Amino acid sequence: MELLWGNASGAVVNQVALEACVKACNEGRVVSSQGVVFQDEWPYAIHLLGHIYINYINSARFLWNSIPLAVKESQPEVLAAWKIGQKLWTRDYAGVHEAIREFNWSPEAQGSVTSFSELYTERMFDLLVSAYSTISTQDTALFLGLNADDAANYALEGGWTLDHASQMLTVKKQAVATEQKLDLSKLQHLTEICFPP
Amino acid sequence: MNLNMNSVETLVAQIHGLSGSISDINQLHSLLKQSEDLFQSESTRLAPLLTELDPFMHSLGYLYILDACTSAPISKEQASELVLSIARFINLCAAEQIRLAPDKFTSVCKRFKDQVMLLEDPMQGVAPMLTAIRKLQLSSEHLTTLHPDFLLFCLLAKCYKPGLSILEDDIFDVDQPRDFFLYCYYGGMICIGQKKFSKALELLHNVVTAPMSILNAIVVEAYKKYILVSLIHVGQFSISFPKYTSSVAQRNLKNFSQPYLELANSYGAGKISELELCVQAHNEKFEFDKNLGLVKQVVSCMYKRNIQRLTQTYLTLSLQDIANTVQLNSAKEAEMHVLQMIQDGEIYATINQKDGMVRFLEDPEQYKTCEMIERIDSSIQRIMMLSRKLTDMDEQLSCDPLYLAKVSL
Repeated sequence: MELLWGNASGAVVNQVALEACVKACNEGRVVSSQGVVFQDEWPYAIHLLGHIYINYINSARFLWNSIPLAVKESQPEVLAAWKIGQKLWTRDYAGVHEAIREFNWSPEAQGSVTSFSELYTERMFDLLVSAYSTISTQDTALFLGLNADDAANYALEGGWTLDHASQMLTVKKQAVATEQKLDLSKLQHLTEICFPP
Repeated sequence: MNLNMNSVETLVAQIHGLSGSISDINQLHSLLKQSEDLFQSESTRLAPLLTELDPFMHSLGYLYILDACTSAPISKEQASELVLSIARFINLCAAEQIRLAPDKFTSVCKRFKDQVMLLEDPMQGVAPMLTAIRKLQLSSEHLTTLHPDFLLFCLLAKCYKPGLSILEDDIFDVDQPRDFFLYCYYGGMICIGQKKFSKALELLHNVVTAPMSILNAIVVEAYKKYILVSLIHVGQFSISFPKYTSSVAQRNLKNFSQPYLELANSYGAGKISELELCVQAHNEKFEFDKNLGLVKQVVSCMYKRNIQRLTQTYLTLSLQDIANTVQLNSAKEAEMHVLQMIQDGEIYATINQKDGMVRFLEDPEQYKTCEMIERIDSSIQRIMMLSRKLTDMDEQLSCDPLYLAKVSL
């Protein structure tokens, strides 16, 4: 468990480590509650951040509801971690970035928060690509959590085009490239079901 | 008295001696059954004997003694120790041995459940109960009395993932009807909590349409949730029951769920303002039934449905027009709604901020990817398996004497 935390809060955070961390946290909570009072020492902030990173907001919500009031009142980092989850839940896209920035994170949490912040910006960019054909630089900045100029540069690097006069960005759609390695045996199988040999 | 304790000591020795092979265990089982009264009479003095036994090697003997110990009233101080020791036994016991005495095992687990509830720490019960189910079940298709208790723990502890794993098993064998009602009702609630509305609808449907000769409270509550989940997931609700619903349910359920049926009517009319009036009018009832959260989800679904309906008529529409038709306050709100629907895959559309327009697109699914072939293949396999099961059940039923008696009259 400690090793996983180390991985999770290290400088280079990868998805697999965090998913394993969340799984261990979930199972650990279930196992550890058999007779041992772990409540106060439990790393709720890291646990919440783990759920948030792998986008299990529902699970983060339930975890938040089950955290004892005493912990909520004495650990501001837990509240701050939850604030990110809350913004994600209510789809306050710009609010997520604010919640990340406005708190002074502890060293253990900083790694997870930074990685999540980058991941979230990427996710938001992908969302904009899929949902918009044109969008103002101002709104793009809000979604990506950057200032207007940085947001425009980020978009331009992604292949978008900018009309300076109207401050409108035109989105470049991704071509849907799916590697289709067809398993011939599956087709054979389906054929045999319809036309038994 | 001493004589009795001597007999108990002898039995313990026999437990040690006869826990080796299957034939020995069977012999031990008969001996234990014969000694039930002895255990009951000495129940207060049996606890120390448990230390002489191994929960894995002597599971059957351990079970009998544990059952007798726990049948006496337990004080609150003893409760948490008892909970730990039963949990330990559940984790360590040998499944083959305890399956010889399923009723005893079930009653020990029931007492475990009662004590965990008394301690008000349902989290402690989740893992042991899951283990208990897996050991007691004859197959993953078998519904035991412990299933609903496990789901109850999951609900109370807000620990839904383990619950979902059990709900994925298809059930074909049921011990007690009451277990089935509770299992489906709690299962429905867990699925609602995880937003798996399709599965929730299926489970609640099973409760409402299950065979029954008199109405029970579980069915009444399930029906209320069934209406709400139907509105959220399907966008409509039909008050007519399927043919296989019991006549008792068909006649009486509607009387207990008037506010919900009114909500469904209002939803069908399509106007947000009317729906919100209806919600306010019955707010207390919804709150009392603890369904207010679901009702709120019904309201937010209405916006989605109304926007989805627009895609059937228009290719492009301005954000302001969307706001007006769907009764939102501004074009920006409409834009956020559409964006969220795109994010959730509930609509295929592109927003054009420059012109303030939305373009509705066709579903890009072409049904020719590898994933689609996998899905078709696994669905076909599943249906073939179900079809075989159905044929088997039909054959078994046509040989059943009760059935033949009814049919021949």
